[in-house]
Parts: sequence; C-alpha cells; structure tokens
Amino acid sequence: MAASFLFSQFMGGLTTAMFLFLIASGLSLVFGIMRVINFAHGSFYMLGAYLAWQGVQWFHPTGAGFWAASLFAACAVGALGAVVERLFFRSLYGRDELYQLLFTYALVLILGDAAKYLWGTDQLSVSTPPILTGSVQIFGATEPLYNLFITVLGPLIAFGGWLVLNRSGVGRLVRAAQMDREMLDALGANVGTIYTGMFVFSSFLAGLSGALVTPIQSIVPGMDVLIIVQAFIVVVIGGMGSFWGTFWGSVIYGEVLSFGILIFPGFSLFSVFALMAVILIVRPWGLFGRPL
Amino acid sequence: MRLQHCLGLALTVAVSAPLAAQAEDTIKIGFPIPLSGPTAVYGEPILKGAQMAVQEINAAGGVLGKKLELLPRDSKANADEAVRLSRELIIKDNVDFLLGTLTSAEAPAVSTVAKENKIVFMTPSSKSTILTDAQHIHPYIFRLASNTDVEGLAGAEDMAKFTNVKTIVTIAPDYAYGRDSIAAFIKALKDKAPNMQVVDSQWPKLGEPDFTAFINAMMSKKPDAVYCSLFAGDFVTFVKQATPLGLFKAIDNRMIDGGEVGTPDEAQALGADYPYGIIANAYDPVIWSGGNEPPEHKKFIEDLKKFTNAKYASGWSIQGYVMVEALAQGIKKAGDTKSDDVSKAMAGMTFDTPVGQRSFSEKSHETFAPEYTGVMVKDPDYPFAIIKDPTPMPTDFHPSN
Repeated sequence: MAASFLFSQFMGGLTTAMFLFLIASGLSLVFGIMRVINFAHGSFYMLGAYLAWQGVQWFHPTGAGFWAASLFAACAVGALGAVVERLFFRSLYGRDELYQLLFTYALVLILGDAAKYLWGTDQLSVSTPPILTGSVQIFGATEPLYNLFITVLGPLIAFGGWLVLNRSGVGRLVRAAQMDREMLDALGANVGTIYTGMFVFSSFLAGLSGALVTPIQSIVPGMDVLIIVQAFIVVVIGGMGSFWGTFWGSVIYGEVLSFGILIFPGFSLFSVFALMAVILIVRPWGLFGRPL
Repeated sequence: MRLQHCLGLALTVAVSAPLAAQAEDTIKIGFPIPLSGPTAVYGEPILKGAQMAVQEINAAGGVLGKKLELLPRDSKANADEAVRLSRELIIKDNVDFLLGTLTSAEAPAVSTVAKENKIVFMTPSSKSTILTDAQHIHPYIFRLASNTDVEGLAGAEDMAKFTNVKTIVTIAPDYAYGRDSIAAFIKALKDKAPNMQVVDSQWPKLGEPDFTAFINAMMSKKPDAVYCSLFAGDFVTFVKQATPLGLFKAIDNRMIDGGEVGTPDEAQALGADYPYGIIANAYDPVIWSGGNEPPEHKKFIEDLKKFTNAKYASGWSIQGYVMVEALAQGIKKAGDTKSDDVSKAMAGMTFDTPVGQRSFSEKSHETFAPEYTGVMVKDPDYPFAIIKDPTPMPTDFHPSN
C-alpha cells in the first residue's frame, strides 16, 4: 500500500474527526458543566446548516458571502440557545434525567418540523468559498484546501476552549459551577448567567459546525438525528464532560472509520461500534472521563 | 384513566360512523410514504404527483362514478412504521387499495401486509428484485419502477460504450437496493464488456456524511471509471467531497450513476458544482433537451409546475402520478373496486404514461420500465446540469434473462 495513500486516508480521518469535534465539544461541555444531555444539539447543528444556506442566498449567492453567512448562522443559533435556556432548560436543572431527555427530544421533533416548514424537503447545497476551492499536494496525497482549513480550525478551538476553561477568571467560575453549584451561588457568583453563557456558547458551536459543514455536505431533513448519534459515540469514547476527551475521542473515531474500511471494506460502521463497545466494557466512563 | 379510555372509544365510534356511511361513493387509497427525514426529498414529490392525478381524475367525474380519496401517511422510510400505518389504513380507515412506500426496506414489508389482507398494493420506486421474485410474488403486489436487474444492465450497456476503460470501482449505499444494484451491474458487465473488471467496491452507509475515506480508497485503485448507485443527499455530499479530492479529474468524468441523479432535484442542489460530463438517469428527465419531447410529457410538466407552484418540476412526481393513473385504469377495466378483480385486470395491463407506454408483466407484476439516461451537460437556459438527449435505457432487456 502506497505511503501517499495511507497519508491521505489519515488526513481524511482527521477532517472527519475535527468536524465531529466541533459538534461534540458543545454537547460535552453542556453535559460536563450543567449535567444536561442535550439531544437537540444535533438540531442546532442542522439549523446552523440551513441558516448558512439562507445567509448565502441573502448575502451573496455565488459563495463569497459564505463567511458572513456562517457567522450569521452561528450567532442566530446561539441566540436561539439563549432563548431555549432561559425559558425552558432553567426549570429542568437538577430534575430527573428523564425530564431532560423528554424535553430535548421534543425539541428535536419541533425544530425538525420547523426546518421542514421553512425550507421544504429538497436537499440544499452551498458552494465552497472561492478562496478555499481547489487542493494541494502533500506527500503525494491530494488534500482539499477546505479540509485543511477544518483540520487546523479544530485544534485551534480545542486549545482556545482549554485556555479559557483553565487559565481565565471566567473559566475558574465555570469549573467551580461544575464542582459545586450551590456553594458558588452562596459565594455570590451569578450561576444562572454562567449557565446561560455556557449554553449559548455550546449552541454557537453547534450552529457554526452546521454552517461550516455545508460546503462539503448536502443539507437534508434528518441530518440532525444522523449527527447526534455520531456525536454521542465520540463523547462516550472520550468521556462525558471531558473537553480533551472529546478531542481525542473524535480523532480516534475519524481514524478508526478511515482505516477500518480498508480492513473490513463491506462493513464501514463495524470498526467504530466495535471500538465503542470495547471502551464501554473496559472503561465505562470513557478514555478521559472520571468515574461518576 | 379508564374513564378517558371509554370516552376515547365513544368518540372514535361517533366519528367513524358517519365516515363508514360516506365510504360508499369514494374509493379510498392508503398512501404511506416518507414525509420526514432525508428521503422526504423524494416522498413529497411522489405524493404531489399522486395528488395531481387524483385531482384530474375527480374533475373528470372519478372512476366508475366514484371519487378517489388519497390518505397520505408519513412512513419515515421505516419498514416497521410503514407496516403499522398500512394495517391501520386497512383496519381503521377501510381503504380499498394501498399505494406508496419509497424504499426497498419498506416495500417488501408492506407487500406482506397486502398479501395477508388481500388488498392491491402498488409501489412507485422500490427496485430491489426480492419484492417480486418467485418466492415473494403474490396476486396483490405491483411495482412501477424498473428493478435493480434493469438498472444494472443499463449501467453495463453504457459502460461498454467506453473504449478506454479496463478497471472500474463501484460505490453504493449499504442496504438491499445498493447491494442488489451493484450485483446486477457486475453480472451484466460480464456479458456486455468482458474485458472490463470491477476491481473494488465501497459500501458507505445510507446517509453517510463523510465519504472522504471511501473516495481515497477508490482512488488508490487507480480506476478508469466509476459505477455509482448513490442518490439524493448522499450523491450531493459525495460529489462535493470527491471533486476537491480530484476523483472526477482522475477518471476523466467517466462515472455512471444508476440512482436517478439526472433530475433537476439533484442538479438544482449542486448547481455549478455538478460533475458535468458524467452519465446519469431519471424516471423523468423533466427538462427534455434534443427536441424529442413527447407532447404528453410537455403537458404533464406544465400541469405539474402549476400544481406544485414550482419553477422547475421534480423528476419523481411522475411515479406518483402514473401510479394513480394505472390503478384507475385497472379499476375501470375490472368494473369494480374488489382487489381480486383489480389485480386480475392489472396483470398484463398496458397503460399510457407521459413518457410512453408501460405494461405490468403477467408473471412478476412489474413494468421493467427503462429509465431516461444521458450525459449531464451545461445548458445556457438553465442554471444547473440537464441530461443531453435523454434516451431510454437499457435497450436489451428480456425479463427471462
């Protein structure tokens, strides 16, 4: 097997991984800090994709308005996150997980139908922004520029997230809220605002990843449910609530999928699910998580 | 809780009683079809086509003096859901016939329900051969689309026309339809172009969001051409990822797709990103270049555009439209709405469609319909790819082989 082929397979896996990381990081963050399993995270991602398409139509249909459209989509989904958190999630904290699951699942259904109502059932597509069309040769492998961009963006966001969480005043409060909400409340910090902020950031990330995925994927009804399953696998592998766990979980998922199809060409999903099963047996709390 | 149950029951009885009285002068058609999820892309236009046919037939006085009534239900492209809905339509809504389902996951399951309940069931787009093969055929199942054997043969005939192709890789969604269609293609290729070899097959799951790994694996085999059964959103995603990886350049656009991606549905979504030069097919090319458009087709598309209020019609509506028309003709021929009589009337029946005559085979109740195939080209009149000179393919199909 040629080295250039193995390299392109590796890079392909990395692109998959970084996309998944962008999506799953928000999911993992909200769970880690607020202990909420947000099934509707995939719906926020889907809305990001549809809104990016809408933005491109409004701003510049040939693709040059892609960046503005992506920012618009991410902010709009972030704002939606704020509304949802303030109006609904607020009353669910500390309640039985079942209520959270039921509520977020209801959100999945409502947002799915809303998207269908607004944009119909046709598949939609956004062109790659002109500056990132084309590809470069690295070690004899063809690497699309847009994939490279995503591969760089992923670690940047991971590092930025880590920096904010571990080296800033806001991060200290967030970590404190994760450890003992009531104590932090008693000390005079506004935990409600911290929670809203985290939820908005998580929604922003979902919207952004939905927007950024549009140049390389079609926008279809049902993409919300497809992605949430993958995002959960990544979070389970990496460990619920661990930021770096999600990062490495994504990398492992992407690479196992990429090389798995070389070993079991007829069973593309087998390797990934086998891996998840093994990890759940050996370390039920995930590679980087802590036992609950 | 018990009181609520009783109330609910009373209400059901109260509501359904007048309906039963009304049923005498309408012919009720249950219509389970995906209206949510990724396959709603096709479920919606098929339903629209069927609704247009019902409207036309009712405006002309109905069938045997009775109006047609369509009862659409969202099957979610899920076999269990389609079966549940079909049973409910038969038992609760007393439908006379079942039309619909989209995929080869749902259709064979609903076919079993139709057999149990002795009720005619026609399906627009399921292609897997198991639906109507010797073990599964029964008097009540009818299939409008061609099956995967026809599709694979059409692909092989087109592939054989390439003079400089020796190695081929295939890619298809990993479920009944994809597996059957690639098997049929490989079988037909042995006959049509014995010098060509399929050197690799890739099986992404249905709805795969990331094809990069599959595309790299395909390209590592350095094929001369690609045979592909991806469709809908999967095809759009595949193209968007394959273009920057250089797949189409490497094979000089020698790709044939058997999954109806030659319609404006996919072409509009991709716009300028469509891989111009590939060979694609469609149940209905919608935009008929080359000047050979049948007048019935022209009228059908005009009516459809008005009915759906869309700038360009979908290539899938024809399947819903023809399905209702064929059933109506079957009922007329039978002279009553009993499924046993209609089934006998439809077996071997020839009927007109906007794209030419079709007939149900007596033995396997399917049409073996050809699909319109051609090179996808740019046209100054449209902002998306269209099929150049749509030609019915395959040309050499005999049900016995």
